[in-house]
Amino acid sequence: MRVLLRILAPLLGLALAAAGVLFVIEVVAAWVRPDATVGLVVPWPDWRATLENLTWADNPVPTIAITVAVVGLLLVMLGLTARRSDVHLDAPSPEIAVTTAPRVLARLVGTRVRATDDVAAATVTASARKVTVSAQSWNDSTPELRGTVASRVDDLLAELPLRRRPRVSVSLQERKGPR
Amino acid sequence: MSTTPVDMAKGSDAPPPPITPPPVTPAPAPAKLRRRSRSAVARSAAGDRWTIVIIGLVLLAAGVLVALLSYGVFGAARAGRPLLDPMIVDTLRAQPLLARIVAIVAGVVLALLGLVWASNSVRPERHPDLLIDGGPDTSIVVSSAAAADAVASQAGGLPGVGRARARLVGAENAPALRVTLWLADDADVRNILRRLDEQVLTTARESLGLAALPVAVRLELDRSQPTTRVA
Repeated sequence: MRVLLRILAPLLGLALAAAGVLFVIEVVAAWVRPDATVGLVVPWPDWRATLENLTWADNPVPTIAITVAVVGLLLVMLGLTARRSDVHLDAPSPEIAVTTAPRVLARLVGTRVRATDDVAAATVTASARKVTVSAQSWNDSTPELRGTVASRVDDLLAELPLRRRPRVSVSLQERKGPR
Repeated sequence: MSTTPVDMAKGSDAPPPPITPPPVTPAPAPAKLRRRSRSAVARSAAGDRWTIVIIGLVLLAAGVLVALLSYGVFGAARAGRPLLDPMIVDTLRAQPLLARIVAIVAGVVLALLGLVWASNSVRPERHPDLLIDGGPDTSIVVSSAAAADAVASQAGGLPGVGRARARLVGAENAPALRVTLWLADDADVRNILRRLDEQVLTTARESLGLAALPVAVRLELDRSQPTTRVA
């Protein structure tokens, strides 16, 4: 989302600037050429004739309005969701701020979980609030494996100076076939 | 007062001025330091985000209102009026000079706002040089790259740190340091942060004569070593 924001922001800025420049050009051109029947850059006399003959209830208007509203809603959602999703860690002094990316936390947890005996594979998603582990066990693994994985993840999170300890959710599926 | 700038990055053939310990300026309040270190974590996108939210809200409100008007929520008579209402055209024609001036000013404002927004969005982040007061007639300029590289090379030598990168960011009168550390998978994060503060950052503050240097540390994992498969 932040990449999209970084791309869209200058484009929208340039679009606004272009609209402003065109508007000024056409107003000044219409002022100095009162008898002109065509616009200098933009065919605004044609647009004006269309707008004069079109009522609010006519067909393309509601469709365009709904499209504009949807685009507005998407922009609002983009602006609100393009926040940094950093994981904050405790720093040794107040003038230091320590952060890491959720994928770093996920990779650390994944490495620890995959090193557990009887775990065949694992996928991990992490955020500052929640760590979700989805592990696959061999079919001859012990029934306590889920608790073992959860405790290993808890141990790892305790080793890290996380400012906020995320909730841990572990799910285990059994992998079919020989080890 | 004459000043003698010295670029610490590139060195100089001239004999160096007598080095006196740089005077340490009083440190800002801890809350201010915390705020500066947090804002140094990454280049802020808050301006872009809020501008896009405002534009989105305007489009959303306009679209909803026009849709309601089109479907006759505000009355069938209003919905049946033309988009370019003759009442508005007559009003503008009654005051043509005022209408033109308002239109031109609105267009110029729109163009300026758009250009300012676009230029702010694409402008590279500032990396300020450090200006150190070296005495009554000397000021020492430590280039941003030199100071950052010195910190990065020291931080990269900490045990558990694979590599490190540092950047000076912020305003010239309120610089901050952004340090990115690539750690080994089995690194002791707590110990690394403590040693970074005690060994690297304290040295940097003392040598630069800064009472406080807000630091944003970004932790990444170094590329994992490929595991050998045994047949």
